[in-house]
Amino acid sequence: MTFAIDFLQVLILVGTAPLLRGLVGRIKARIQNRRGASVWRPYADLRKLFSKEDLISATASPLFRLSPMILFAATVAAAAFVPTLHGFALLGTAGDFIVLVYLLALARFFLILGAMDGGSSFGGMGASREALVSTLAEAPLLLALVAVSIVAHSTSVAGIVRWSSGQPFFHLSPVHALAFVAFTLVAIAETGRVPIDNPITHLELTMIHEAMVLEYSGPSLALIEWANAIKLNLMLSLLVAVFMPWGIAPATSLHGLAIALAAYALKMVLLAVLLAVLESSVAKLRMYLVPDFLGVACALSILAVVFTALKR
Amino acid sequence: MGLVEFAAAKTLASSAVFLFITVLLMAAAKRTSTCIMLFGVQCAVITAQILAAAFVYHSREAYVVAAMVFVVKVLAIPYALLGIRKRLNVPGGVSASTTPAQSVYIAAGLILLAFLVVQPYVRALALDGEMLAAATAVLLTGAFLMVSRKKALMQVIGLLVLENGIFLAALTTTFGMPLVIEMGIFFDLLICVLLLGVFVFRIRDTFEHVDVSKLRRLRG
Repeated sequence: MTFAIDFLQVLILVGTAPLLRGLVGRIKARIQNRRGASVWRPYADLRKLFSKEDLISATASPLFRLSPMILFAATVAAAAFVPTLHGFALLGTAGDFIVLVYLLALARFFLILGAMDGGSSFGGMGASREALVSTLAEAPLLLALVAVSIVAHSTSVAGIVRWSSGQPFFHLSPVHALAFVAFTLVAIAETGRVPIDNPITHLELTMIHEAMVLEYSGPSLALIEWANAIKLNLMLSLLVAVFMPWGIAPATSLHGLAIALAAYALKMVLLAVLLAVLESSVAKLRMYLVPDFLGVACALSILAVVFTALKR
Repeated sequence: MGLVEFAAAKTLASSAVFLFITVLLMAAAKRTSTCIMLFGVQCAVITAQILAAAFVYHSREAYVVAAMVFVVKVLAIPYALLGIRKRLNVPGGVSASTTPAQSVYIAAGLILLAFLVVQPYVRALALDGEMLAAATAVLLTGAFLMVSRKKALMQVIGLLVLENGIFLAALTTTFGMPLVIEMGIFFDLLICVLLLGVFVFRIRDTFEHVDVSKLRRLRG
């Protein structure tokens, strides 16, 4: 039973990822007074891409084909660390949050390699920008999770979630508040959302992620897009799981599980609405201001770690 | 009734955290309008805190103070400042002499400093350490905003934040001042904002900018 739920959690994270993307796009369209595409559109896109031919540039090495697969595999493996319905995860005992962070880094590393392998100048440009953003985002992401894990006395994500779901509602400590703000800023940067990168832009001067995947087509592109959607779903689920896990099932009962599923869906929809509102109201930052944005996140997460020493 | 008591207790326990966050965001803010909004949010947190204290300690005067804070600091002053900002018609940036990230580091340092300096008083007077530290941190950040921002309007906001810190410190150490004095202070504050607003306009009209770092020569 427990194993089945663990497995279900990964399936939900992987399976609903395109839906979340469609939902955010739909809400954004509504805010901009357009009707927008159906929320199921990303699934149709994926199906279309999977049935297409994979075109590879003449200069590309086998790495070009391999990178999307490694990217997808590493992202799905990272998704297996995140508990969403109950306080355990499929790979909950296999590693701690550091493994989770570096699985994402591995995925990103291969995406960058693939982008540079494609041979287009845009790929190299996007890759160098992505490398800059990820270098700057890594420290605050790790530090924010370190702060939370010190308070929770556990380094595994599932352990942190079990601890915080045992805390009373609205029991705010400065550590959690600061880590939450830092984590939110990093999650925006990591998933390439608006103040850092615009997921729908195709303007050469500004694109980061889109520039990297420009050379990809067919199933490879489908894998990359899906992995990217999973990453957004994963970061938001991690945010929900670590900072607001209330409603998560304490024991494996069908009743508790239904409540957990409803609570999780509600929180994710809420975050999707918040994300859409944020993306519609904030302008994209200039590339040179990205270090400032992540510097703020870094300062907040360092302060969160320092506060763990001040309190308790 | 239990829910109200619960909410009041939680507000008292967690308002310091929200104050820290407003202070840090203010240091990170790049536009004067964001700073003014954040000032309003900070005052709303203070209002909630006074309301919770009024409920917990059954103080009728505190309700009046909370109402005054809400009307003067959450509504009137931000509204007036936004109006001034709009009519000044100068670029919206704060023209800081530090980058946002540096400012946040400095503000974080000030928060830690606040925690360290209040320790003796907390021990001697048996006070809520976190709240007093929050008050001190708000005070220090207000002073920091005043010295590091070049826009004349930011000096006004810095002064108001500083005043918030003093007000909070008074609230935590002595349960606030007598109501008459409190009312006098609020009236002073309102007049102060109006006068400073006029003063900022005069700076702009005489020098054609509001950058205080360039006010080096006397002009008639």
